[in-house]
Amino acid sequence: MPNIKLQSSDGETFEVDVEIAKCSVTIKTMLEDLGMDDEEEEVVPLPNVNSAILRKVIHWATYHKDDPPPPEDDENKEKRTDDISSWDADFLKVDQGTLFELILAANYLDIKGLLDVTCKTVANMIKGKAPEEIRKTFNIKNDFTASEEEQVRKENEWCEEK
Amino acid sequence: MDAWGTLDIGAATFVRDELGSSIRRTKKLTIEKLPDKVLLHIFSYLSHKEICRMARVCKRWRIIAYDTRLWKNVSLRPEISGLHVGSLESLLALISVRFGPSLRYIELPIELITHTVLHELANKCPNLTHMLLDFSTAMQLHDFSELQAFPTKLKYLCICLSEVIFMEGFMRKIYNFINGLEILHLIGTYEKVEEEEEEVYEVVNVHKLKSATPNLRVINLYGINFVDDSHIDAFSSNCIQLECLAVNYCSKVVGSTMKTLLQRSRRLKCLLMNGTSLQSEYLLQVEWEKCSLQELDVTATDLSTECLVDMLSRLPGLRFLSAGQINGFNDSVLKAWMESGNPRNLVALDLDSSDNLSEEAIYKFLCKHGHQLWGLGLSGMTHITDSLWQTVLPILNNAKILILGTQERLGVNILVDQLMDSIAKNCPNVERLELRWDPDNLRFSDKSQKAIDTIRVKCLKLKCLCLSDGRYYEVTKANFERADRMTVVRTLTNCRVSNYYLLSNYKDLIFN
Repeated sequence: MPNIKLQSSDGETFEVDVEIAKCSVTIKTMLEDLGMDDEEEEVVPLPNVNSAILRKVIHWATYHKDDPPPPEDDENKEKRTDDISSWDADFLKVDQGTLFELILAANYLDIKGLLDVTCKTVANMIKGKAPEEIRKTFNIKNDFTASEEEQVRKENEWCEEK
Repeated sequence: MDAWGTLDIGAATFVRDELGSSIRRTKKLTIEKLPDKVLLHIFSYLSHKEICRMARVCKRWRIIAYDTRLWKNVSLRPEISGLHVGSLESLLALISVRFGPSLRYIELPIELITHTVLHELANKCPNLTHMLLDFSTAMQLHDFSELQAFPTKLKYLCICLSEVIFMEGFMRKIYNFINGLEILHLIGTYEKVEEEEEEVYEVVNVHKLKSATPNLRVINLYGINFVDDSHIDAFSSNCIQLECLAVNYCSKVVGSTMKTLLQRSRRLKCLLMNGTSLQSEYLLQVEWEKCSLQELDVTATDLSTECLVDMLSRLPGLRFLSAGQINGFNDSVLKAWMESGNPRNLVALDLDSSDNLSEEAIYKFLCKHGHQLWGLGLSGMTHITDSLWQTVLPILNNAKILILGTQERLGVNILVDQLMDSIAKNCPNVERLELRWDPDNLRFSDKSQKAIDTIRVKCLKLKCLCLSDGRYYEVTKANFERADRMTVVRTLTNCRVSNYYLLSNYKDLIFN
């Protein structure tokens, strides 16, 4: 299987099996657009991903290389977050900063499986928490004024339990 | 990499990675740096209740929480895990600011079905194609005399009927708007406790309804006490596209118009008549050999052996058969069916509680056709134990759905470890599995964990494993949970496996 070279934002190059790299729709499109030749030793620059994250992404993609393609989003189906595989759960036991970097990388590289599982992980961190707990967990500033806060509470009170 | 996770990588610091091969600049990323699109993706995994709570975190989250794309499918029936909207005013506000053009599916309880709400939905939600109206708890109908508009793009309409409320005041107002309907569910009150000799009211005028809905492909009349064969006849006279008709638990249906139904509805593929009062004499008149029926459910009917033999040997293309709980289904039926060669396309078979079928006859049938089956149910029979399953499992290598066992107490014990092991070995595609045996009849041992491990690792598509509540259930559940497969193992009280997943119109037939 031919390899290609991926270069991270901080200049490190990674040699990866083409088929594994192609789980990224962004890289796949780049290769097709460039009409990459097997002969030539080309390097694909990825200016939005640093080497630590790129290493993790490649690790993830290598493990998942034989996965069936993720199913199309079924709009009528309730989305679940309790179906994260144990390997992925272990893989994502990282600090918040790394998790968000992985999300950005998955988003930029357009890797649906990785984006789904990282977003599910964040959704699980959100579930069951009150607004104040959320702010604390994610270090978010409450930018509502007191009256706005009252207003938004009212807007959503219909949604709370009976 | 692990060292990374524990390092406090504060803003704009230089960090050396564990190999020391490179130095790079990194700053700690917070959730606020994620683009809206990604936050929206995260929110899409939350329930509407959670989303509403998230609106109160900060200004940006509020905007995202109100994004209409998160509000495509909305249930407002609090009893059925939907949202509770306290007042009509708040619902009207929600329809215009939060649902808008994204809304595709809505469930409304009786309190919220009013002409103002329906007008607002018609005006503000042009993409609303699926709607469920729940009148089941109605004591009286709202006044719909002012109803002038109704969503016009509906493809799917589900109406939960009440036993006593006449719907015509409402229905005649909507007939003009539902011509495009392809899927209609009318849900009766079958599940409520039946009182003796209660008067039955024909709360919907099917004869008028069918004229308004010429494009129906799928009709599901579920557990409606007034529905009889004249109503089936009415739909078949006007719905030329009909491909799936379900009248499960409509006990007045006897089959007297079945012949004309199958003559008229040339596209009819699927006919589900579980728990009806079908009479053999009517089915004997049907021209089965000329129809294109592929899926048939006659579970829990009183069809005779003669009728079953006649029907199965004249029906050429059957893919799906559910024919459990019929005394007349005996060995001679299975034999005649096999000899006719008609099970050649069969993929799903359910013969639940067929006490008149012998183990030998089933074995012979499966030897010939087992390899082609995706779904097989042989539950509720005390004489079908693990010994038969052990011999046929090697043939059932394409099975996706398997239903085994009976809840009746047995004199013998089921060696469940060996059985699980055999399923794991032979049926790599199994998705849904149900073992109905009483927990006291399941014999398992220290080796159970190993057998459960095997099925867990080999049958990766397994979504649902139903067991009777008891020790073995606990052991299995704990095993799957340790592997983070939290929702696979369930008790029979919460969940039942059925071949219905294999129906080609399964998705259309779902109703809440």
